[in-house]
Amino acid sequence: MKKVILMVLVFTLLAGIVAFSETITLNFMQVLTSPQRTAWWEQVIKDFETLNPNIKINLISPPYEQADNKLTTTLMGKQPLDIIEVRDYTIKQLVDNGWLTNLTPYIATWSASKTLIPLAWQAAKTVNDTPYMIPQSFFVKALFVRTDVLSKYGIDPNDLKTWQDVLNACQKLYNPSKNQFGWDNRGKNSPFIFPDTLATSFVDNANPNNLYMLPNGQTIFTSSQYKAGWELYIKLFKTSPQDSINWGFDSQVNSFVSGITPILMQDPDTVGLLNTMLDKDQYTVVPLPVGPTGRAYPNYGFNGLGIVSYSQNKQAAWKFIEYASSPEVNAWFNKNYGPLPISSVTYQNDPYFSTGVYSAWAYMMAHPEEYVFSNYPFNSSKWPGWTSIQQADMQSLLLGNVSLDTVLAKWNNYWK
Amino acid sequence: MKILKRFFGSFLKVIALGGYLIFALIPLYWVMVTSFKGPKELYTFPIAFLPKSLNFENYEFLFTFANFGIYFRNSLLVSLGASFGALIVSVLSGYGLSRISSKKLSNGILIGMYLTQMIPGFLLMLPLYLMLSKFSMINNLFVLGIIYIDIVIAFGTIMSKGFFDRIPVSLEEAALIDGCGTLEVLYRIVLPVSLPAIMAIFSFFFVNIWNELFLAVMFLSSNDKMTVPAALNSFISKAGISWGVMSAGLVVALLPTIAVFAFAQKYIIAGLTEGAVKE
Amino acid sequence: MKRNLKLFIMVLPTIAILILFTYIPIVQEIQIAFENYNLYNLSNIYFNGFDNFIAIFTNIDFNFVQIVLNTVLWVVISLIFQFTLGFGLALLLKKPFKGRGIYSGLVFYPWAVSGFAIGLVWAWIFNGQFGLINGILMRLGIINQGIGFLSDPHIALMSVIIVNIWYGIPFFAIMLLAALQSVPEELYEAAKMDGAGRVKRLFNVTVPYIRPTIASTILLRTMWILNFPDIIYAMTDGGPANSTNTLANYMIIKMYSFYNYGQAAAIGFIIMSVLLIFATIYLSAFSRLEKGI
Repeated sequence: MKKVILMVLVFTLLAGIVAFSETITLNFMQVLTSPQRTAWWEQVIKDFETLNPNIKINLISPPYEQADNKLTTTLMGKQPLDIIEVRDYTIKQLVDNGWLTNLTPYIATWSASKTLIPLAWQAAKTVNDTPYMIPQSFFVKALFVRTDVLSKYGIDPNDLKTWQDVLNACQKLYNPSKNQFGWDNRGKNSPFIFPDTLATSFVDNANPNNLYMLPNGQTIFTSSQYKAGWELYIKLFKTSPQDSINWGFDSQVNSFVSGITPILMQDPDTVGLLNTMLDKDQYTVVPLPVGPTGRAYPNYGFNGLGIVSYSQNKQAAWKFIEYASSPEVNAWFNKNYGPLPISSVTYQNDPYFSTGVYSAWAYMMAHPEEYVFSNYPFNSSKWPGWTSIQQADMQSLLLGNVSLDTVLAKWNNYWK
Repeated sequence: MKILKRFFGSFLKVIALGGYLIFALIPLYWVMVTSFKGPKELYTFPIAFLPKSLNFENYEFLFTFANFGIYFRNSLLVSLGASFGALIVSVLSGYGLSRISSKKLSNGILIGMYLTQMIPGFLLMLPLYLMLSKFSMINNLFVLGIIYIDIVIAFGTIMSKGFFDRIPVSLEEAALIDGCGTLEVLYRIVLPVSLPAIMAIFSFFFVNIWNELFLAVMFLSSNDKMTVPAALNSFISKAGISWGVMSAGLVVALLPTIAVFAFAQKYIIAGLTEGAVKE
Repeated sequence: MKRNLKLFIMVLPTIAILILFTYIPIVQEIQIAFENYNLYNLSNIYFNGFDNFIAIFTNIDFNFVQIVLNTVLWVVISLIFQFTLGFGLALLLKKPFKGRGIYSGLVFYPWAVSGFAIGLVWAWIFNGQFGLINGILMRLGIINQGIGFLSDPHIALMSVIIVNIWYGIPFFAIMLLAALQSVPEELYEAAKMDGAGRVKRLFNVTVPYIRPTIASTILLRTMWILNFPDIIYAMTDGGPANSTNTLANYMIIKMYSFYNYGQAAAIGFIIMSVLLIFATIYLSAFSRLEKGI
């Protein structure tokens, strides 16, 4: 009898060891898909698998346009998924539906967590002040300018310090008979960010935690300073081709590269794209212009990695997230992809993110008295659909069909 | 005088045909030109009507980096398989509805088919996905093929019934009296006469399935199972549209559909009805 | 009787597949139209009666009346031109000519592209600054400022309709061409002997003979056009200022932007009801025509 028990124990032990050293397969879905980005993720995964031979990662890359929807339906159908890419726009939805794991216990044992920049913590704890994901990249708007076009008109990019300076430059450039315009307007697909980035910089007491709400409990749409900012934006739009009312990101880039509108406000991941189409001496990036307040309130777009709540392999999933978020890997990824990295180590030691065109963003990160990183109310229940509503209203406004006062009253009504 | 009239008639015909062709080809011209442009030529003003030279790097990128060959093969398999399957099912049910004696029954079923075309397909995707995910039928090219068959058979049945209705029953009566089975009659007598219709319907099946995007993205996850429309769509990213590669992809994706159309129209315009009906 | 049973069995596979993969989802769909179903908070789904419909009808951001008007124009104008131009093309292709094969392959290809992708291509072609159309017009000296085909709310709807017409001509051309092949030559001979000219032959022989095909293609195409958001979604996303927004595109906005599945399903229900009424009237009118009443 004893012999039998012993044999059973030995077998169980052996089986346990075999099971333990068996390969774990993780399913990882990215959402900001592009063929190049997929290749970079595949490289990170390959390196990770070399270091961890018993973990295999299966990368799922739905096309960007359908990715958010695909992620939602995959989670709804409880299909096998372990690691997911979480965006600023989607984190609230994912948390509210109970699909993300609270990462606090994992972060506690992660040494590199101490090197994350404060912005990274802000982003991670967006919902319920709890870290549900580790950010990987930051998107902050800055001003892209065509140095060659501007020099023809005697405009120095470094003089574009305030929005008034930008307006002056755009009006100088504006020459429709020669098909030369100034401002590169965004007409559709979340156009709110453009006028709002400008208009909020006019407001003395803007609230960085929720740009649409002032500290006195009123919405920002009641502020006369916000209105003044919008009036400047409308003047800026007049230096843009009328057709830009229908422009998405692609048209904006097309217009910038062709030289028609040499001033473009955009995110850092545009850098890689522009480098394939323009020579280095044809464009540069300068810090975001400030308003009459001497400040700007740029929002920080972000995406990161989270662990699915019903994953069976959370420990292994965390291992990958830890690896991808390490300063070296994160820096490598973002150098290729374009946006800003998450570790203070990178900013201190790696000159890439503080030289060349990136010096614009380095300046912004180094001057918090001028650049107050802020948030729009992505987590509000009123946010879904807001971008479509604002888009339709903004188009009506710029077409001259409706007055600024009417639109501001409407938006105030929506958010109050 | 008659010759002049004839000449004028032909002249008008040529103008009309030319007009149709130019109208149809505008986007194809632009896509082809774009596919041969290098990245610095894409966004210029004034626009370049022709590429500086025939630059094949977009096509190279397509087949190496973007792995287009695999997606092409997947699409071909699913499209051909589902099209043939749908054709068999549609022809059978179209014929059945056409010849069944109870008009009330056949009209009722026909209305049921029209009903399926009334609902926007977008809305059906989510319930379908949730239903199939319960049976682990996601990420399966075969299941996707079945779904594609489901998408097109209502159209196929309606159209084939319409064509079969036009073929007089007298044609089959002789054979039926001789003891031919129902299926034999369909195969031997009705099908050869309705070949134009069959080919037209088949070509529509193929093209609609080949181009289907949203179901493919929703029901497939593995990279090696992706179809051509999904691959084309992946050239649209947060950082804009990679027009160079996508144009090359669009041109390549067009080739099978144009081939199917060209092949099918040989039968569509065959004019096989001479002497078919002798009342 | 045996033959009837066999015939019915031949129809069964289609019925079975449709029930499994289409009808069951439709039923679930209709249920969702009457529920508060928001993808932001899936644990909070409950029956809310007609709330979704009321919200759609009274929405201040997307004027329902304008959307319906746009939809009617979108369907009617597209259909008329697609049909007549498609029929014309079919008539032109009926008699063989040299290179007809290649010609058909080329002229039919608009149907061969995916709606969304071609919408993006046309959006670029129609671009008011660096689009192909404006480029050609400027080169020819006809204009010297770009026309805002998609940004001028007065002409944006016509621009997307033109693309839809371009897209749908091959469908009618191919289907009607196949139908034209089935018209027996003897009928034409008889008409010629009666002294009927080309036009008379067209209207007295051809059209009546292929009327069922005409009827079913028009009905199907109407349903498809109404349910087809791809081109508008890709070109203008319903803008500018709601001027190109149709019911189908509105449904997409409700699904992908508002994440409000319940309201999207409600719009789908409205579309389905409209088509059901239309199809009923259409089919009964058609059968009366056939019976010669």
